[in-house]
Amino acid sequence: MKYTSQSVALPYFIAAIGLFVGQIVFGLAMGLQYVVGDFLFPEIPFNVARMVHTNLLIVWLLFGFMGAAYYLIPEETETELYSPKLALLMFWIFLIAGAATILGYLFVDYNTLAEMTGNNILATMGREFLEQPLLTKIGIVIVALAFLFNISMTMLKGRKTVISIVMLLGLWGLAIFFLFSFYNPGNLVKDKFYWWWVVHLWVEGVWELIMAAMLAFVLIKVTGVDREVIEKWLYVIITLALVTGLIGTGHHYFWIGTPGYWQWWGSIFSALEPIPFFAMTVFAFNMVNRRRREHPNKAAVLWALGTGVMAFLGAGVWGFLHTLAPVNFYTHGSQITAAHGHMAFYGAYVLVVLTIISYAMPLLRGRAANSQRAQVVEMWSFWLMTISMVFITLFLTAAGILQVWLQRVSDTPMPFMQVQDQISLFYWMRLWAGVVFAVGLVTYVASFFVKGESKPLITP
Amino acid sequence: MARNSGPETTARRLPGDLAIWFFILAELLAFGVFFVVYAFTRANHVELFNAEQLTLDRTSGAINTVLLLTSSFFVVRAVQVAEAGFSRRAAPWLAAAFACGAGFVVVKIFEYAEKIGAGISLSSSTFYMFYLSLTFFHFMHVILGLVIIAAMWNGARTGRYGPGNMNGIETGAAYWHMVDLVWLILFPLIYVMR
Amino acid sequence: MQSSLSSPRHASSHGTPNRAAIIWAALIFATMLTWMVGERGDAGPAVTALLMTIAFAKGTLIILDYMALRRAPLMWPLIALGWMLLVCSMIGLAYWKGLAA
Repeated sequence: MKYTSQSVALPYFIAAIGLFVGQIVFGLAMGLQYVVGDFLFPEIPFNVARMVHTNLLIVWLLFGFMGAAYYLIPEETETELYSPKLALLMFWIFLIAGAATILGYLFVDYNTLAEMTGNNILATMGREFLEQPLLTKIGIVIVALAFLFNISMTMLKGRKTVISIVMLLGLWGLAIFFLFSFYNPGNLVKDKFYWWWVVHLWVEGVWELIMAAMLAFVLIKVTGVDREVIEKWLYVIITLALVTGLIGTGHHYFWIGTPGYWQWWGSIFSALEPIPFFAMTVFAFNMVNRRRREHPNKAAVLWALGTGVMAFLGAGVWGFLHTLAPVNFYTHGSQITAAHGHMAFYGAYVLVVLTIISYAMPLLRGRAANSQRAQVVEMWSFWLMTISMVFITLFLTAAGILQVWLQRVSDTPMPFMQVQDQISLFYWMRLWAGVVFAVGLVTYVASFFVKGESKPLITP
Repeated sequence: MARNSGPETTARRLPGDLAIWFFILAELLAFGVFFVVYAFTRANHVELFNAEQLTLDRTSGAINTVLLLTSSFFVVRAVQVAEAGFSRRAAPWLAAAFACGAGFVVVKIFEYAEKIGAGISLSSSTFYMFYLSLTFFHFMHVILGLVIIAAMWNGARTGRYGPGNMNGIETGAAYWHMVDLVWLILFPLIYVMR
Repeated sequence: MQSSLSSPRHASSHGTPNRAAIIWAALIFATMLTWMVGERGDAGPAVTALLMTIAFAKGTLIILDYMALRRAPLMWPLIALGWMLLVCSMIGLAYWKGLAA
């Protein structure tokens, strides 16, 4: 850690990991509800558990991104953070607002929650992933603005590097596209149309910039490859990501009542979306192979390489599987979508946040790298979580293929619930893979408490 | 990769920056996919495509081809002049290249205005969807190319380029030639071939 | 990755002005040919083959000379020419399929 204000990242990272644990708890509960429908009913029905599962994911990734920004922006700009106090204040506001929202989901009936929080003044609730009450949404905007103000002011007074510019661009994009969550037109087609401007343009647009910047930062640090080289790759990757990702929004406009040309635009451009992810994989391996130093933090290198591979598989390959309109005609909204969603979020965003945490956390705790033993435990957690996620994805894909076949392709299509019974075996197997994932996560958390002789911090 | 091994080195060398070549490959792939999808879609609607193709203005398409080719020639001349050590003398060549590119944009805008005036839109038919999408996708590349040429012109004017510093001008030139290259397929494919 | 390695002594990749001008003339001539075919309204497999061959020839000149890949490491001109060949022949194939239909 070169600048004392970088330490504000620490609470953000801790909160991210804590909420990650919460997300997985609810994921397991839902995995069980898939096969034992009345588990936890009526206290926590499936729809509530799902809302908590997905909202926690988004919130902890946002904590991760903000922590990453607070860590890497001072180091990149070579100056202290504009206001560490503001960063800490925003941390508490965001944490409390997030926790209150989740508790609201769990303990208050959703309709009552809507009434209590002013949904009748401006109706924004009730849409997938954007279920947050109006007050929470406003809170998110305030926190985001204060955060961007803090980061932007830091950049203005410091060195401007490509990594920090790309990071900032991504974060500004994230805030700007979130504003569309306040736009809720009565026309259902328009509603869906702009809903994707938040959802798609986040995960397949501006988040990719954030991800590329974070990965590039860690790779510079652990490989010692010239900044110039890494920056060129960054330019190529973000241009490809934006060209394919922005027009690729069209793959959500196939069947929602939008004009037919979206089937062409969406198919062609989203078919190319794996390219930037492939470039990112090549980039990560290339940089590690050309490393000029042996960084003592081996675990961070593993997470970084894992990000490249798993993002390409989950977002690239599994996305491509069902992105062409003629295929999507059958697979739309099936378990194949769920398979893609799980591996893409894990491979791209979960892993990139864990990469930066793995790199930065030892430094924040005053050492260059964790002890050998702690790193071994951490790497075990990587393999447990990654392999079980591969199995979750494979089981869901198998379930999806069977579902599409029985319910949509077959000459004698079966009703939805009957099909669900037919594929319950895969849901059971997915649940067990999920249990292994949870074991991996516990291992991960435990790795922070493993004692041992750590590598001392040598300030050059 | 070039190795500066001696005065008479004939080592093979990729002009410009490696990153732009990765980018160009991705662009070629995107255009390639678009072209092939067009061609195979046409195979299922030959009569529709043949009939509506006749409504396109082939002459303005040909003029635009000439403009792009000439523009590319000027860029080559600018690179040659810069390589000979006369960065400032490259500037007028780049200005000429920019003018040709701008001419392309003007012709294209007239063509679009005529089509939109006739009530043609992306939803009119599969053919017009492809015609408008493909040419507009290319059009956006021309606009970006013009911005790059303007930046190169500025660099040349301030004497930035020379035999020891060809990276910037070669990188921009490679991109501009790519914009030209894809049009060389686009023009016969959409305007002429039936 | 390559930084600006161009040294004053590297062999020129960009040919001579005369060569560039001759290539330009050839490209313009080929364009006129394509335009004429369009004006005459010619169609059929032979015309498709002709037009794609013209496009491929023009593309080859651009790739090898204007893009200066003639003196680049062999992989690069091969990829670019391979792309050109692949796209032109796929288009040809699709037109042939259109005839059969």
